[in-house]
Amino acid sequence: LGAGQSIQKTYDLTRYLEHQLRTLAGTYLNYLGPPFNEPDFNPPRLARAERVPSATVDLDLWRGLTDNARLAANYRAYSRLLCYLRGLDGQVGAVELRHRLGHFCSSLQGLVLSIAGVMSSLGYPLPAGPAGPPLPPGSSAAPNDFLKKMDDFWLLKELQTWLWRSAKDFNRLKKKVPPAVVTLRLETRGF
Amino acid sequence: DSHIQYERVGADVTMKCGSMDWDAAVTWMANGTDIDDSHLNGSYLILKNVDLTQSGQYFCYEGSSWHLKYQTILRVGVPPKEPVLMCRSNNYPKGFYCSWHLPSPTYIPNTFNISVIHGTREMVCEKDVFPKNRCHIRYLQLFSTVKYKVTLTVTNALGKNSTSLTFDEFAIVKPDPPESVVAKPVPNNPRRLEVSWQNPSSWPDPESFPLKFFLRYRPLILDQWQHVELSDGTSHTITDAYAGKEYIIQVAAKDNDIGTWSDWSVAVHATPWTEEPKHLTTEVQITETTSTSTSSFMPPPTTKICDKGAG
Repeated sequence: LGAGQSIQKTYDLTRYLEHQLRTLAGTYLNYLGPPFNEPDFNPPRLARAERVPSATVDLDLWRGLTDNARLAANYRAYSRLLCYLRGLDGQVGAVELRHRLGHFCSSLQGLVLSIAGVMSSLGYPLPAGPAGPPLPPGSSAAPNDFLKKMDDFWLLKELQTWLWRSAKDFNRLKKKVPPAVVTLRLETRGF
Repeated sequence: DSHIQYERVGADVTMKCGSMDWDAAVTWMANGTDIDDSHLNGSYLILKNVDLTQSGQYFCYEGSSWHLKYQTILRVGVPPKEPVLMCRSNNYPKGFYCSWHLPSPTYIPNTFNISVIHGTREMVCEKDVFPKNRCHIRYLQLFSTVKYKVTLTVTNALGKNSTSLTFDEFAIVKPDPPESVVAKPVPNNPRRLEVSWQNPSSWPDPESFPLKFFLRYRPLILDQWQHVELSDGTSHTITDAYAGKEYIIQVAAKDNDIGTWSDWSVAVHATPWTEEPKHLTTEVQITETTSTSTSSFMPPPTTKICDKGAG
């Protein structure tokens, strides 16, 4: 698969996940119950929630990202988001919701692999290990149920925002990396 | 001393004639006309249950010398109701604008103050020269999970009111309608119409933030629209048009991933291509043409005979 097709596939998968998450997040927030499922719920972002990789970026910085840096940022983010999401998945009481979360995790795993595929087809090294400082022991368990739900709320919101950002990232890459040219370049370098 | 005095509709207003005593002889005038004594209590002017028509300039003169002792401008109005506030990003990712209006007039001057908070940071809302009640905010960061809170406070001499909006960055993205919509028949294709348009000029970076489009079209003779969604490109060929019928066509736009659809574009009209009538020349026309060829009058164009075989 050429880089161009690989990027297109990753873009399509991102759009699919974005669409899936829209309904899944709604269901999950209803599962968490008020105030988490209220449209105007606007909680402060606690220090705990800062561990989840933030999609927020300075506009000019984002525009100026190299393809490698852009892809690496996505790869690192989803690798960590996937871990957190799997943690979420294990405790949900509702079977049907747990099943949908499990399916979503598999799809998200597919996105991580897809991004890795794009990076390797473009000759970029994968970022080493989980980015960012490892979690201090015992810090992942929230001290109470409300804070646990707050963690979940921010995780889903960040994931939604990452998917929206990634759609723009991969759309940008799509336009910069025409399919044929890249494959040719790889061959001349003896790959 | 002349100053402006604001009073609510329905209020009772008492005006003193400057430093004149209560029992001094005075004359009150409003907008150049005398006020009759029924409104006076001594030298005080009493206006009961004032209404908008009583706004104006009021003068008080000392009885005999006609010295001006007091003048004021009375402005009758009402306190502001809760303003209507709307924020929208039609030039994403540059920023967004907020615009506001009062649901009903106050008849006196109002001042508006707007604050935009993003997380813990206050952002500057730069007032637009035109339109008046509008300001815009520049995005410093993109893809934020933190909501924006915009609070608008309106104040006038008679009261104060406010409203606020809380929203996510992506929720207010709404492009302007597509521009330069053109619809043309396709020669030799009686059921096709070629439609093209451009991205709204206010959308700054369609490359990074592509728009998708929604096209709707219908023959004028019908009410039911037909729709087609297009995620790439700025043109489309309608292939199922009714032959010979005039069509009305509009286009809307939306960011590929976020926000809401724009309003519909300006409507354009077009009619699919129809075959030109074939020229059949009969014997009669030939003889007529030769006998009148010497006269200056040119024979009328041959009557069109429909070619049954067409379309």
